[in-house]
Amino acid sequence: MSEYRKPLPQIEPYSQAFWDGTRNNKLLVQTCTDCEARIFFPRKQCPECWSSNLDWIEASGKAEIYAFSVTYEGVEAAFKEDLPIVLAWVDLPEGIRMQTNIIDCDPDSVAIGQQVEVVFRSVTDEITLPYFKPVA
Amino acid sequence: MSLAIIGIAEVPTKRDPERTRWDMLTEVCIGAIRDAGIDKDDIEAVISVNPMAQAQMALDMALGRVPEVLGLKGCKDICVLNAGGTSTTNCLRLAKYFIDNKQAKFVLVPHTTVQSDIPTEELINFFATAPLDPQWEYPYGVTFNGAMGLITNRYMHDTGATPEQMASVTVSLRGWGALDPNSIFYGKPVTLEDVLESRMISTPLHAKECNFLADGAGAMVVTSHEIAQEMGKPAAYELGHGVRFTGATPVLRDDPYFIKAYRESSQDALEQANMSIDDMDLRQIYGAYPFTQCSALEGYGVCELGEAAALWADGRCGPGGDLPCTTMGDATGRGHTGSGVSMAFYLDTVRQLRGEAGERQVPNCNHALITTSGGSVMNAATTIFGSAPR
Repeated sequence: MSEYRKPLPQIEPYSQAFWDGTRNNKLLVQTCTDCEARIFFPRKQCPECWSSNLDWIEASGKAEIYAFSVTYEGVEAAFKEDLPIVLAWVDLPEGIRMQTNIIDCDPDSVAIGQQVEVVFRSVTDEITLPYFKPVA
Repeated sequence: MSLAIIGIAEVPTKRDPERTRWDMLTEVCIGAIRDAGIDKDDIEAVISVNPMAQAQMALDMALGRVPEVLGLKGCKDICVLNAGGTSTTNCLRLAKYFIDNKQAKFVLVPHTTVQSDIPTEELINFFATAPLDPQWEYPYGVTFNGAMGLITNRYMHDTGATPEQMASVTVSLRGWGALDPNSIFYGKPVTLEDVLESRMISTPLHAKECNFLADGAGAMVVTSHEIAQEMGKPAAYELGHGVRFTGATPVLRDDPYFIKAYRESSQDALEQANMSIDDMDLRQIYGAYPFTQCSALEGYGVCELGEAAALWADGRCGPGGDLPCTTMGDATGRGHTGSGVSMAFYLDTVRQLRGEAGERQVPNCNHALITTSGGSVMNAATTIFGSAPR
């Protein structure tokens, strides 16, 4: 694998499990065992009830596009080889919305409301980023 | 509780690294104090707008260089405040506290920014990392333009606003800028075709709908309503103020294009002023991206959700329109000077209320509403100003 030059997520202690999950091709959603909140992004304490009793559920990997934007220019040098980049906000049925990229698609075919599914891409030994692609 | 802006100065927005931060800062501070008609030693506090991505200048301001360089012998206190694009708003709020508590009669609020000596790559990085999340957004190649493209895309989906209507916002903003000697686009209007045919940056945003980073500086002298009235000078009197926080991270916001924040902050401000949105002669919206010029009008209740883009397309909000908005031009129509955009918004509002806005002057402009925002619109801070106290 060639050296990965793009910015890597700055992992915090309470998000380590999320990134351990993606490394094992699992998309995990943090949950509060006291108030049942679904939490994104992962935190040290539940933002709803401040409970420290937090756990993880495995997401189905399905999602729906809430918003997208196809970037053609204006990125840092490390991202230039990826242009155009399809940025998207996707809604997971597990109750969270997250930022991702839609990959393996024609950028012109991406639409709000489109059904997508998670794709894991290992970028370093430690980090696997969850992307999404249109459901076939 | 009262605040009046009695002195202003600004240098034209440009990209010119020959103009240093301190050159411009000195010029606008002296200019604002002279415009206020007071002695330099009457300034009892200096509350500076944090210059973004300029660490040394921020430290200079935080550690007291401004009153020392200017020889402000009456200065009792200093502070630098950082809330991104709402830094200037916070400076005014702290100034009001000093004035209300008799700690200062006159407060100087300065800003300076040079971005033309910072490499483009560094600026892209700064604007991608400062207001966006380094763990959950930045690794996906999200830029500031990209984040705003995402929001614009959803806004257009929900409201049915067309690309032509959205482009018309930029045509109007550049129309104001073309008439403004302080705009980097002075004398340079654009057509609908110019906007729609400019390069696509992050859909649906074309190059001319994105921000052009530039250099600028401005300063204000503020005092109480009572002192401003005694001095008998034309001034901008604050009549009401309200703020709502929307959230730090764009993807997580429940109010994606800030309708609720615009509505509630303006309602608070108007209620304090005992006025309604229909009483406003001018609406100044600092959102830095064209969709905010629409969603703000919808939030204020000027029109229903989905109707604002047509108001811009019909030319009602631009030069010569019956619903003038954002005569300052916003960042897209004037050049983006970092945290200086909000400074320039207040300065332009003062000019309008004093009848000094030249070709952009709104007729009989006695009441203006201004909304500023920081970060990637983490908040909406709305203030009502009048040409007289109530």
